Amino acid sequence: MKQLAYSSGVVTGIILLLLMWTACQPAPRVRELTVEIAQMQFVPADITVHKGDKIRFVNHDMVAHDITEETSKKWSSSPLQLGQSWTLEVTGSANYYCSIHEVMKGKIRVE
Amino acid sequence: MKKNVIQLSRPLVVASFLLLGVTGNAQQNKGLTDPEVASVAVTANQIDIEFAKIAFQHSRNPEVLNFAKTMTNDHNAVINQAVALVTKLKVTPQTNSLTRQLLADAEKTKKKLQSAKGAGFDKVYIGNEVAYHRSVISAIETVLIPQAENAELKSFLQAVVPALKTHLSHAEMVEKMLNK
Ligand SMILES: [Cu+2]
Repeated sequence: MKQLAYSSGVVTGIILLLLMWTACQPAPRVRELTVEIAQMQFVPADITVHKGDKIRFVNHDMVAHDITEETSKKWSSSPLQLGQSWTLEVTGSANYYCSIHEVMKGKIRVE
Repeated sequence: MKKNVIQLSRPLVVASFLLLGVTGNAQQNKGLTDPEVASVAVTANQIDIEFAKIAFQHSRNPEVLNFAKTMTNDHNAVINQAVALVTKLKVTPQTNSLTRQLLADAEKTKKKLQSAKGAGFDKVYIGNEVAYHRSVISAIETVLIPQAENAELKSFLQAVVPALKTHLSHAEMVEKMLNK
């Protein structure tokens, strides 16, 4: 009986320690990457990231662009004027395009 | 015989740009002055906005309307940048024979667009956009950029070319959709 109480105490202790250890671990680092929009192109047009990473799109062109998920228009920025930027939090791989200039395309791969 | 007539009437704009290259050189060794280059650049952009206005009145096709909206916004953005630049450079755009030729050709095209209806309009409008962007790109690359003297004006014209090339690919994409 005493033995059992003792061992369950040990187990609880180990679990607590484990929980504390987990809490102290740094969260998987979120990276912020940049896709430049210049001369009517997404640069890089093909980018590989981790889930949860952030991609900042910056427009350097004198004309406005947007960034729109291509297959079902799941997400979209509003039009970005010269010098404006927009940040996407990546939830999965995607093909995207500019709905203003439909031939401008890019790709996000999640690894 | 009939085919020849169509092929001749289409690249009207190209013809007028090329003509200027020749007559400009014949009249004076130097070709266009910077105020003249600025005038041609602004006019070429204004003309495409005029074409888009007709598209808003005549088309119901979402792809055509989206394209026309892009032309309006982009060519306006280019004009605004051009005006800001010439203001800074204290260059006053000067109307010249090429500007006048462009405007005369545009009047003819506008008449053609005004008289077309429905799906027929869409094809005429997009077909003209393909031809017009091709000729403007070639004019900027072979006439305006080489003849512009001021470095900032030159690099501004160079910066406009990628947008025009994207417009051309976009127009060709819509043209393919219309011909399906
Ligand atoms: Cu765009």
